[in-house]
Amino acid sequence: MGKILKVDLTAGTLRSEPLQEEVAKKYLGGKGYAVYLLYKYLKEYEAKGILPADIDPLGPENVLIFATGPGTGVPGFPCSGRYHAMALRSPLTGSVGSANSGGEWGAFLKFSGYDMIVIEGAAEDPVYLSIIDGSAELRSAKDLWGKNVFDTCRILAKRVGGKNVSVACIGPAGENLVNMACIMNDEHRAAGRTGLGAVMGSKRLKAIVVSGEKEVPVANPEEFKEISKRCLENMRKNRVTGEGLPMYGTSILINIINTAGALPYKNWQSGVNPNADKISGETLAATYLIRRRACWGCTIGCGRVTRVPSGPFQILESEGPEYESIWALGSATGVNELDAIVKANHYCDEFGMDPISLGSTIAAAMELNERGYVPKEDLQGLDLRFGNAAALVEAVWRTAYKVGFGKYLALGSKKLCEIYGHPELSMSVKGLEMPAYDPRAVKGIGLEYATANRGGCHVTGYTISTEILGIPEKIDPLTPEGKAKWVKIFQDFTCVVNSTVNCLFATFALGVKDYAELLSAVTGWSLSENDILKIGERIYNLERVILNRLGFDGKDDILPGRLLKEPMPEGPAKGHIVELEKMKEEYYRLRGWVNGVPTAEKLKELEIEL
Amino acid sequence: MPNVSVKILLFATFREKYHLKELMVECDGSLRGLIESASKILGEEFLNDVYEKERGKIREDIIFMVNGRNIKDLKGNIELKDSDVIAIFPPLAGG
Repeated sequence: MGKILKVDLTAGTLRSEPLQEEVAKKYLGGKGYAVYLLYKYLKEYEAKGILPADIDPLGPENVLIFATGPGTGVPGFPCSGRYHAMALRSPLTGSVGSANSGGEWGAFLKFSGYDMIVIEGAAEDPVYLSIIDGSAELRSAKDLWGKNVFDTCRILAKRVGGKNVSVACIGPAGENLVNMACIMNDEHRAAGRTGLGAVMGSKRLKAIVVSGEKEVPVANPEEFKEISKRCLENMRKNRVTGEGLPMYGTSILINIINTAGALPYKNWQSGVNPNADKISGETLAATYLIRRRACWGCTIGCGRVTRVPSGPFQILESEGPEYESIWALGSATGVNELDAIVKANHYCDEFGMDPISLGSTIAAAMELNERGYVPKEDLQGLDLRFGNAAALVEAVWRTAYKVGFGKYLALGSKKLCEIYGHPELSMSVKGLEMPAYDPRAVKGIGLEYATANRGGCHVTGYTISTEILGIPEKIDPLTPEGKAKWVKIFQDFTCVVNSTVNCLFATFALGVKDYAELLSAVTGWSLSENDILKIGERIYNLERVILNRLGFDGKDDILPGRLLKEPMPEGPAKGHIVELEKMKEEYYRLRGWVNGVPTAEKLKELEIEL
Repeated sequence: MPNVSVKILLFATFREKYHLKELMVECDGSLRGLIESASKILGEEFLNDVYEKERGKIREDIIFMVNGRNIKDLKGNIELKDSDVIAIFPPLAGG
């Protein structure tokens, strides 16, 4: 088994602990193992008389975890250069913090000799963590504090030198405790959601640099080789993972989601953007795309390297924007100038912020402003109107540095809209801004947003795959019937993927059976399809138990009123709302939950010991 | 059969291959008729790209939408009307 590095920033101490095989057998690794550890911390706090509600997301008592899994860094394991990050509480939502990132950092952490890092406490002065060839130490980051993401990555990579060097860090947004700050790695990759960058900033941990050449063990190498060969061949032949994603990247979705009437426009006032094609993957490929970039161990290569050669939004070289970034910074804000979106996205990377939450917050501010709810003096010259590209780009850096109106945007849309007396204009669930699919036109994803443990999230239960794309089979997006079953399957299986840890995009070509075989060969355990889905369900339920302890239950498994009461005004879903209660009732029944809380019988069945 | 005039939108690799974003097509109102009419403009290859002759159906692996609805979700025989918009995508995904 591998090792966990536990870092106490308050005391400035580091210690190494072995991974426990019995825990790994129940929770796999990555997200699953992290959820197990977070629950243990919560119990220890409760034993000390610290109530969950007393845990300040930005206080030293919050715990931050970086986790890889049994698949991470294994050559031939599809798309396995990733890591999963978690915190006991997110500053944006107050619930569990959770995010996942690609690039190289996850694999290189493994090569450095550790599987996971647990960060406790907070440093007095800025520090960074260095893990080189199994040797870990804390070093002063006074010279790095204030630097942007790109400079921090480059300086530390140069300082360490050699091959297999990778840096995860925060930018100014994390330092300034912006609620939607990300943890960034390899310059442009992000553990983007739930504000984990602010947690890192509150601990005054600027960066973690990893490097090493340690081989990642595989229990049955010959068997693994055969399975891996078959899976990689399937991914190459598959027209999604072998052709569509490599050629156009994720933003290929803009046009199809808009055609289905599900591309939220102007803070979700409609699901149809009349100018969607101007910001589509096809247009990006024909204009600003220079080349593509793959993460470690990836055969897909969906990453975009881009350049805006001239004009007010000139950028000599950037990466992205992804589908979600284009939507949030573009369609949600009514901005259809792709060069401005590329620039705003670049700033998000440079300062370390989640484009989904930021774009949605700016969109909410635009609607607040257009409806006359924001005093002019608060805006300090920031002309937040739908479609104003210059104001969009300006708002990004103001948010990172909390300058002027940026200090309100930095809170996220929920708190922003509450401050201005119109919470209904925040398009968020549990405080997390929803991503780029309007559930009035895709009903199942509405149930996912409402019940996702981390809040308004698509990737923990990506029913778009079956409702719109027809993978693994096509179901009608406009009916609520049968959606609960799919949401549960996607949520449980995604827990397996995030605990493996590899990329969700591999699942467009690989199924549960492939994962069972890959994981069995790597771990040496005999895992059936049912076994791994049960592990996934166990992880989802234990994470839900943590949510319950933090005060979240069925009352929080909701959607913004706009989606429940305001019929879609146009497009193929015209007249539709989300029939949430109907789907939720079936979902809770399938989950064995009552009002968003797992029953004692369900926990027993899943062998979860509280 | 009545003549109807519909718009076809091409996306992703189809747009690249045929160097065209959209075209107007007149046809008899059936999907087969539509594809045959479009093939007269775009070439025989288009028929093979989107239609399975042997099964007499739109190819299973592409995404074929009429007025924003995937034809796999539409019940019964599909009859096109004037001004209908047909969107054709290759297999794709993202997230």
